[in-house]
Amino acid sequence: MKPASIKEGGTVYRGKGGQWSFMAHRVSGFLVFFFLLLHIVDVGTVRWPAVYDEIHSLYGNVLLRMFEVGLLFALLFHTLNGLRIVVVDFFPGQAGNERRLLTAVIVLTLAAGLPGAYVIMKPFIDGRF
Amino acid sequence: MSVVEDRTPEGPGPARGPRRNFETWSWFFMRLSGLALVFLALVHFSVTHIVNDVVDTDYDFVADRWDNPLWRIFDWALLALALAHGLNGLRWIVGDYVRRPGRRRLVLGLLYGITGVLFVGGTITIVTF
Repeated sequence: MKPASIKEGGTVYRGKGGQWSFMAHRVSGFLVFFFLLLHIVDVGTVRWPAVYDEIHSLYGNVLLRMFEVGLLFALLFHTLNGLRIVVVDFFPGQAGNERRLLTAVIVLTLAAGLPGAYVIMKPFIDGRF
Repeated sequence: MSVVEDRTPEGPGPARGPRRNFETWSWFFMRLSGLALVFLALVHFSVTHIVNDVVDTDYDFVADRWDNPLWRIFDWALLALALAHGLNGLRWIVGDYVRRPGRRRLVLGLLYGITGVLFVGGTITIVTF
């Protein structure tokens, strides 16, 4: 097979599902990791209850609720796509099912994420925050 | 899937068969910790955002939960595995995109430093609360 010519900084990939899920896996993992760093710091204030409660009351704000919805989708996609990777790696016979598995990842992310988003936003929808 | 022992090639040509080096274990660790995190991270998110509203997860909520040593073990396992999984993922990303050796060493050094400090800090929070 003739190797594809690659320009400096270029890529042999052609932008199909496999490449996009690879990128989305990285981006979602990166976002969740940085939230984790922030979250360890904010929970660290729990030894000063007043400070912890003050910081924590911010999480009820509508902007931060939208941020939590984003976190939920990143977490769900990363989890389900990670499971897809495990399935393909440990059961090589499933590699031929790759596209169907990716469709399942996207459908399940939405199926779990949309009701979750509704629950997170509900206090705002009800006018409480 | 099974991990095959190192083999000596029986003829000319490159050595065949998987070799178990650090990167093999790093690959394997991502699958194992990922599977554990499916449970740990999704339970944690559900408890703090779906079952309870985030506004109700105040100081009293944390104090009540950490009264139970099992929740402390749960949270510490989540802290340790999520940080290690995220650290290794970011190490791969840095390896792909930060090509200059000096800069790569700097970025990895910062990454290890920040993660290490937060791991120690998070552990102190959970243990000494």
